[in-house]
Formats: sequence, C-alpha cells, structure tokens
Amino acid sequence: MSAASPAARRGAATRVVLYAILLVFAVIYLMPLYVMLTTSFKTLEEIHQGNMLALPGEWTLAPWREAWGSACIGLECNGVHGYFFNSIKIVIPAVLISGLLGAFNGYVLTKWKFRGHKIVFGLILFSCFIPFQIILLPMARVLGILHLANSTGGLVLVHIVYGIGFTTLFFRNFYASFPDELVRAAQLDGAGFFTIFFRILLPASVPIIVVTIIWQFTNVWNDFLFGVSFASGDSAPITVALNNLVNSSTGVKAYNVNMAAAMVAAVPTLIVYILAGKYFLRGLMSGSVKG
Amino acid sequence: MSFLHINNVHKRFGETHVLKGVDIAIEQGDFLVLVGPSGCGKSTLLNMIAGLDSISEGELLLDGRCINDVHPSRRDIAMVFQSYALYPSMTVAGNIGFGLEMRKVPRKERREAVDRVAKLLQIENLLDRKPGQLSGGQRQRVAMGRALVRDPQLFLFDEPLSNLDAKLRVDMRSEIKQLHQRLKTTIVYVTHDQVEAMTLATRIAVMRAGELQQLGTPHEVYDDPNNLFVAGFMGSPSMNLVKARIVEHDGVLVAQVATGDTTLALPIVRDREALSDWCGRDVILGLRPEAITDPASANHRDGNIHEAELPVDLIEPTGADLYVVTTLGDASVNARMRPGTPLRPGERTRFAFDVSRMVVFDPESERRIRDEQMIDSALEETA
Repeated sequence: MSAASPAARRGAATRVVLYAILLVFAVIYLMPLYVMLTTSFKTLEEIHQGNMLALPGEWTLAPWREAWGSACIGLECNGVHGYFFNSIKIVIPAVLISGLLGAFNGYVLTKWKFRGHKIVFGLILFSCFIPFQIILLPMARVLGILHLANSTGGLVLVHIVYGIGFTTLFFRNFYASFPDELVRAAQLDGAGFFTIFFRILLPASVPIIVVTIIWQFTNVWNDFLFGVSFASGDSAPITVALNNLVNSSTGVKAYNVNMAAAMVAAVPTLIVYILAGKYFLRGLMSGSVKG
Repeated sequence: MSFLHINNVHKRFGETHVLKGVDIAIEQGDFLVLVGPSGCGKSTLLNMIAGLDSISEGELLLDGRCINDVHPSRRDIAMVFQSYALYPSMTVAGNIGFGLEMRKVPRKERREAVDRVAKLLQIENLLDRKPGQLSGGQRQRVAMGRALVRDPQLFLFDEPLSNLDAKLRVDMRSEIKQLHQRLKTTIVYVTHDQVEAMTLATRIAVMRAGELQQLGTPHEVYDDPNNLFVAGFMGSPSMNLVKARIVEHDGVLVAQVATGDTTLALPIVRDREALSDWCGRDVILGLRPEAITDPASANHRDGNIHEAELPVDLIEPTGADLYVVTTLGDASVNARMRPGTPLRPGERTRFAFDVSRMVVFDPESERRIRDEQMIDSALEETA
C-alpha cells in the first residue's frame, strides 16, 4: 500500500488533530506550573507591573533564599526549611514501615492462607474507605494517650495506620498472581517463612514496591489535614508551614516568596515520580514460570 | 521392604474424596509413572509425597521411615514442577544452589556441586543468566538441575514436559530416561500422556477418579490390562473394543462377532479356563491395532493367526505404518498394516488376527476375565 492512499492520509490527519488537542491540554495543565516557576524568580516590583506570563526581566534567587531561610511563619522568621525536614522525617519512616507491613500482609494473605483470611482482608480493605475527617477526634485521643500529640512521631504513626489498608491491597493483589509453585519449590529447598519472603517474593516485587512508594509518598507528603490537626508549631509538616507562610504575611503579599516556598514543597514528589516512574514499565516477573 | 511404600493413602478435601485408598510400592531405582486423565488424583498424590498436601488417612513410608508428618524440607525429596518454578530474581547458579544454601553448605562446595550438575545437564554457559533470559527447554534443564544438585533419595516430577513443544518434548523425554539410567535414581513422575508413561517407566500406576486401576511394568499394563479403562487409556491408537459372544464350537472355545453378513469366530487361546464359564454370554473383546495386520506381516509361527476377509472403510497412512479401518460388529476397528499395502476404501481384504494377544472383558463390571495362573506368572515375571 502506498503512503499516499486515502486511508493512510485519513490516519495521518486524525493523528494531527489528536496531537493538537493533547498539546492544548498539556499547555493548560502546565500553565500554573509555569507561572509559579517564573514568578518565583521575579522581583516584587516586576510582579506588580502585572504581566503574569512574561519571563522574568531580571532573574533573582532572592525569593528562594527567603522562602528557605528567612520568611516569617507565624512569629518566627526562619523560612520553611525546618518544616521541610519535618516532612522528610515523617515521610521516610511512614512510607517504609507501612510498605513493609503491607507487603507482609499481602504475603500472608495469599501464600499462608488461614481460616478467615478473606474476612481479615476485607476489614483491612475497609480502612481505605474511612474518610480522614471521621478519625480526627479518636486519633487525637489515642495520640494523647500515647504521648505522641504534637510530634512528628505521632504523624508517622497516623500515616502508617492509615496507609496499611492501601499497601496491603496493593501487595495482596500483586502476590495473588505470584505463582504458588515458587513458594512450594522454596519450601522443598528448605527455605522458611521469612527467607521465602525476603529472598523469593520481595526481589520480584519491584513494580509493586514502586507503586506503593509513589502512592504513599505522595499521600503522606501532601497531607494537610492530619498535619494541621496533630502537629503544630515546630513539628508541623511543610504543607502546614506553607499555609501559615501565605497567611501570615503582613502588608504587601510576597508572591515570589510564596511561589518559591510552594515549589520547595512540590519538588520531592516530583523527584519521586521521575526516579521511580521508569520502573513502572519493567516487568521483572518474566521468565519465572512458563510463558 | 520396598523403598517407597504408599500404604492405603486417602485424601479428602472437605466432602470430596480425592484419593480412595491408594496402595503402591516401588523399589530403589524404580521409575514410577503415575498416569491418568486430569482429575484422577495423580498430582495430589505427588504433592502428598512431597509434603505439600497433608495425608487424610494411610501411611507414607520412604526407606522404611514414616514421613507422614515430616516437613517437606526434611523428607530428602526434590521436585521438578510443571511450571518449572524458577526463582525469577536469582541467576541460574543461584537457583540451582539455593537448596544447598538453605542447608548451609559452604560456598565452595556449593559452587562445585552447581558446576557438576550444570556440566551434567550442559547448561554451564547459562549459569549467570536470569530465568527470564532462557528458553523453555533451558528452563526445564535448570529446574532439573535444582532437583539433581541436592542428590535426594527421591525425585518427583510433576508433568515436567507439558509446557514444551512436541519436538523438544521427545528430546527431553529421552534425556530424562538417560539420566535415570545413568544416575540410578528413584523417580515418581506424573503425566497424563500415556506415551510418556510407556517410554519412561519401569512401573506404571494407572489411576482414575482417585483409585488405582493397575500397577505394573509398561509391558503388563499394555498387554495385560486389568480392566476396560486401562485397556482404552494406554496405547495410541487405542485398543479396539468389540462386542462378542463366547460360544463353544466343535469343542473349541470361540468369540463370535456378528459382522455384516457373516459371523467372525475368533478362537480363544488366552484365559481359556476363566472364559469357559462364560459360554453363551456377551463379553467385550480387546485387540490392539498391531494384533490385526495384513496376513504377510503376521507372525504365523505359533499358529495363533486367524484370518478373515473384511471391508476396508478407511485408510490412514502415517508414514511408518498404514492404519486400516474396518467394521467389526458395530464398532470401527483399527488394523496396523505395512505401509504401501495396496488398498482402497470399499475393497475387501484379508485381515490377520493374532488371537494370542486378545483380551476379554466383562461388559458389566468392565473387569478383565483372566485365568488365575496368568496373574501368578505375571507376578513371577516382575519378581
């Protein structure tokens, strides 16, 4: 068939229209990011001149420095960096522990089935459907009893508890299609419960580990409600600090500083997506069994 | 005392009775093939030997030791799985050596053992690859290597060739057989393929619906089947089964088959004593295709050849043989003739029946009608 046949031409035309539409949507979607980025590099005078879409006439890093180190949040003027590290302190243990517990749950629920395993899984799954707002008061009480109120440790616990439902769901569904024969072969080879998990299943779980990390990292990092409810002052995560920064400016609104602080808050999730995203495409299970 | 003794073993999953008292005993060095249609319980039995399924009732003895409640890893058994079950994140060497590693064999010894097995199976150049980079046949070899390296008392194979293409399956089949002859290992092998069973086994256990139908050498199971099921299941093309009536004719016991305008009378030479009680009663005759030939290829020495002229319905050349289909009674019957025998459908030709190979079944119970001493002599033969 020649390239100029009517069918081929129609196909090409469809594709041009398709890409044009996609391009429009991409531009609309990326516009706020563009405004954020350019504004964060502008001086306040330039912002007040009004042209929001223009590139900075004079590039400056001052708003970033101020957002990081000297912007006033409430009464203190140390910037967002302390809160940024609060968020790091919360997100790393929360993601690792909830992920590991979810993986263990998935392993036991699929490979070491016990009487009532379906009910247990159903109950764990149920936690995915409980709205955040419902647990605020009981959780505050629990944290009080545990002496974890107003601490990053308390937030870690909240996020682990809230995350287990999702991580269990991910790993259970992944391991459900993991061949039982591999577990049986390992048993005959003399491997025990933990050896089978750490040597056989976990190394083959990279795709679902990546999914879990992206999901949990994004949820925990972007959380505002738990942060504002259970941690205040110095132990607040960056999302809360960002809110306070924007609200506590007196007199003139420093849009460039606000935008720079917002970028600081957004960068870690972006990095996780960029680094982990490529593992989504890899199928590490190929070749273990037939096919 | 036999090496592996499966003693009246039952398996129940809730209400369903999967294995209904199976008794099998084999000696060291035997190659036992469990064969039967799907759902007959052969894989369940294998898993019970491996320790992956529990035993509801009965006893499992390996080398005189009851292993009913021994953990799979302490039974000194290795298994090759249908799906190969290679660990996806480990190299071939890691896969083969994993069992030794779990048994805390030092690294150097482990390496040597892996190399030895890799050489035996000719996969030395694959040791650093991951299972995902291997072909089906290579994965099969790695799976076998993983079993061989541990040098266990007993090997279990669960339909190991069913995922290979036809050509590779035949190659691997003879390799497994060679391996068994060389290493003199004891093997229990599950398959639904009766050709695989015939070629590999020193002992075949034919199973159906959780019950053992017959245990014997390939020769016994093929030529001396216990019942209609075994007769029909083993052999390809399968045994011809024809309705007949036993009568006495001039003092000679014959099986009469009414076919079209004539009546074929095949003299009884086998199981004569038992069949004399069946005079005037209906039976089912079993004749292998190779027991019905053209007169020239028949073995006339023993005088057991009975010839008859019958119509040719269909001819099926396979290259090595020519299968000729005719009608006996109301059944289509396959005869095996020399290739190149000049025949055309619709013609009549002479068929030679080797009546010494004819077996007779009770149509009600489907059991074989056979003389007592036949069983004794069969036992002597195996002893």
